[in-house]
Amino acid sequence: MNKLLKKLIKAASGRTRFVMAVIGLSVALILIFAAVQVQSNYDELLHSKTNQDSVANFLVLNKVLNKDTYGHASISNDDITKLKQQSFVDEVGILTPSRYKASVESYSNKFPFSTEISFEAVPSEFIDVNSKEWNWNENSNFIPMIAPNMFLDFYNFQFSFSQNLPQLTQDVVKMIVFKVNIQTANGKISFNGRIVGFSDRITSLLVPQSFMDWANQYSGNTQATQQPSRVIIKTKDPGNPLLVQYLKDNGLTTDADKTRFSKYRQIVNVVVNISGGTGIIMLVFALLIFTLFIQLTIASCKSEIELLITLGASPKQLQRFLIKQFYPSNIIIIVIALIIMSVLQFVAHGFLQQQNIFVSWFISITTIAVAVAMALILFLTNYFTIKKYIAVKQ
Amino acid sequence: MQPLLYIQLNMQLVLQNIIPVPLKEKLLQRSSSIWNKQLLFKKGEWIKINAPSGSGKTTFIHTLYKLRNDYEGTVQYDEKDIRQINANDLAVYRQQKISIVFQDLRLFPNITARENIELNRVMQTPLYEENKIDEMAEIVGVAGILQQRAGLCSYGEQQRIAIIRALIQPFDWLLMDEPFSHLDKDNIAKAAALIAAECTKRNAGFILTDLDEDAHFNYSRKLLL
Repeated sequence: MNKLLKKLIKAASGRTRFVMAVIGLSVALILIFAAVQVQSNYDELLHSKTNQDSVANFLVLNKVLNKDTYGHASISNDDITKLKQQSFVDEVGILTPSRYKASVESYSNKFPFSTEISFEAVPSEFIDVNSKEWNWNENSNFIPMIAPNMFLDFYNFQFSFSQNLPQLTQDVVKMIVFKVNIQTANGKISFNGRIVGFSDRITSLLVPQSFMDWANQYSGNTQATQQPSRVIIKTKDPGNPLLVQYLKDNGLTTDADKTRFSKYRQIVNVVVNISGGTGIIMLVFALLIFTLFIQLTIASCKSEIELLITLGASPKQLQRFLIKQFYPSNIIIIVIALIIMSVLQFVAHGFLQQQNIFVSWFISITTIAVAVAMALILFLTNYFTIKKYIAVKQ
Repeated sequence: MQPLLYIQLNMQLVLQNIIPVPLKEKLLQRSSSIWNKQLLFKKGEWIKINAPSGSGKTTFIHTLYKLRNDYEGTVQYDEKDIRQINANDLAVYRQQKISIVFQDLRLFPNITARENIELNRVMQTPLYEENKIDEMAEIVGVAGILQQRAGLCSYGEQQRIAIIRALIQPFDWLLMDEPFSHLDKDNIAKAAALIAAECTKRNAGFILTDLDEDAHFNYSRKLLL
């Protein structure tokens, strides 16, 4: 039956039109796939390494300190409320500085050590150290502390050499109990203190919030400002250009290294938008040409189709036949576009590897999912066009 | 009683006061045993309809084949008004229940005679093997032109191709509109014998329209249009 139908219903004579539609559709699909692939490569770069992630997703913000802000660099409640409302900010935490004098000294004579120090406290949900000891109440004489890794590095790789002191590992440091003195209105109070963990997230010596609140209250230093001068935010993507722009507009600053992805991100955004946008426009046109091509074929075989139906061919039979005539070419185009995309991805993988940027050597699941979606869209377009024009013939 | 009744009703044609709207006034002035009458054609009846020129012969055949809807009254297959039959069910009727030889033949001119017949054979689950085409073509004398493009065959040859095309498929009713108009006596006899044999084999009825009286078949009924 199909062999005979093929003889009767020949594709419309517009061969060039068909070739143009095929090329248009191929380019459109490649552009769309490329947009999706670039986006997923970027996402992969941003989110693949979970250790980087924990650093990257928390930013400590403070006012830019210059001659204009000198002396009043604290962050107001308004600033914090505004910050909370931004779409790219998930959570805001206030870093509370100590308003009292404090010092740390060692109990051991073998390791004499004494230094003036200041603390900061931050709500627990912003801390990436899990320790059972991380709490304090008024009856407790023990203060847990979290130190930045940077402090230990500074000691191990600079200070110890100059003072002829031994190097210390994290585990050793965690075993040392220090004497922590704080100055209150009623005189000096001493506690036992110990480092319970190290973190990269906040570059200051942290104590529990409960201790900080208690000590600040008893410090008697009512002159010192109550306003925080630093806040910590949690964000899904520190490379978000909106975030960088917001910081700039509000005179805020953070560790620039963490937002370095912002520039790449902007470039990626432009590439993805142009490629995706052009691809979608071309897809619409290609679909239109394909639809016209189907319409033209059916119109040019009008009398044959009429006679076939007169002789008893069912519209469903003819629709199925026409789908088989037109749809396979669409599938082939999709497959070819995917193959081209895979080759490009493989080449990009090799090239970027030389630049120490690691992306997958194969196209992403998302790209394949988009290809399947395209196959569905094309099928529906074919199906409804054919159904419409065959139905008219009755 | 029920099953028997069902068998009797199977594929019978009922015409109730049908009259084509464009020809209504003209036809009502004539005496006709079909237009505006109630008729029941039972399965297996061989019906000859004598139809003088201008009496609406082709209109009648086309109405029964549901090619036109501009008539009053109703035509029923199996007690079902054919106006209610949808496109896909209609295809099933045309593939399995009702076959036709058009007056204007309606072959595809650009494919061969054999392909024209083959198309009707494979449109549904084939009733006959492919070699039945050769067998029938041999009987009516067109075996030699099966490989020719239908458009290049003479009208008489095309007429016989159209007859074979109608006979290659399953049917309960065969509609024929002046099927022998371009055949000589000898060929008419051969074609009529083949049609009679095929109808008998299927226990099928036919409705044949022609201008004049004839004795090509052993008709069970003769009507005047």
